[in-house]
Amino acid sequence: MENHAKCLIIIPAYNEAESIAKVVNDLTDHYPQYDYVVVNDGSQDATKEICLKNHFHVLNLPVNMGIGGAVQTGYCYARDNGYDMAVQIDGDGQHDVTFLKGMIDLIESGQADVVIGSRFVRREGFQSSRLRRLGIGFLSVLGWLLTGVKVRDITSGFRLVNKRFIRIFAEDYPADYPEPEAMIIASVHGGRIKEYPVVMKERENGESSITLKRSVYYMIKVTLAMLIRRLSFGFRR
Amino acid sequence: MIPHELQITLSAAVICYFILILHYLKKKMLELKYTLLWLVAGVVMAVMIFFPETLLWFVRLLGVESNMNGLYVLCFAFIIVILMMLTSIVSRQQMKIRILLQENSILEKRIRELEEAEEKRCMSRDEKSRGNEIARESQ
Repeated sequence: MENHAKCLIIIPAYNEAESIAKVVNDLTDHYPQYDYVVVNDGSQDATKEICLKNHFHVLNLPVNMGIGGAVQTGYCYARDNGYDMAVQIDGDGQHDVTFLKGMIDLIESGQADVVIGSRFVRREGFQSSRLRRLGIGFLSVLGWLLTGVKVRDITSGFRLVNKRFIRIFAEDYPADYPEPEAMIIASVHGGRIKEYPVVMKERENGESSITLKRSVYYMIKVTLAMLIRRLSFGFRR
Repeated sequence: MIPHELQITLSAAVICYFILILHYLKKKMLELKYTLLWLVAGVVMAVMIFFPETLLWFVRLLGVESNMNGLYVLCFAFIIVILMMLTSIVSRQQMKIRILLQENSILEKRIRELEEAEEKRCMSRDEKSRGNEIARESQ
């Protein structure tokens, strides 16, 4: 285990009091070989108290920063503590850590710098609604047009990065709805992005951060953000 | 040409404006860096009041027919630029706050863990000394 690469699991949590203990306990029971850190994003419920009571590794943000800021905090922590890899998973138990081994292998064998856990490669498990898949498809095509890299599950929040991209994301990570934009950042920095087939569960507690009302704003904001990101890096491929 | 009465009213207004800025500066409610913008605006207003010809000349230069319309266009442009600068300042501050918050949370975790370790160390030391006492008593 000594010369094994150190991998940090980043779990952003905003008002996840009901599920956070279960997610973390699952993790420490079945996968004690991985380190983890919960990023409590200024939750108003008992998330912080639960984490402190159970002596979880937790970073407490005093105010709510949004998912991007929370995940970035995890990357800063990974950078400061010399981790070789960092993976972000959701605090609501959607992502299954069983698949992490295969994702880590992709990075350790040097095949990829960024591995995105994708539910659309094998089309198993929770697939999201049709409308949402349409939106994801549009963003995926946009990402492909902008960078030449095809990522089918571009909004997946289940992604593993190597040391170089820990540093890049610690310095520069989009604030809200960050996933598609982060993929553009990774791509323009010359990162090799691979998708790894995973099965996602439907969320157990809480609601998706993207309600129907917000999805219009989401699409406009993310599309613009991706375009501007691409422009600000110039026209090299 | 603008009438003298109006010129006097406007001068008084601009003087009030400068006094207000000075007041804020003295009370440190305004950062000088950001006040420069408003001071420049005040100087431009003063120039327009005391030398209305410059305004007329500039409005003609822009190709606007009516003097008043030209004035409105200028005001509008100025305000938009100032608002844009303000948004940029807010964005930069937001970025700084973000970094501060992140650093803060990482430090908070470190302190919490140090305190826990210290507590444990103290407790084990207490236990050890208590153990020694018991051993001495039993001797």
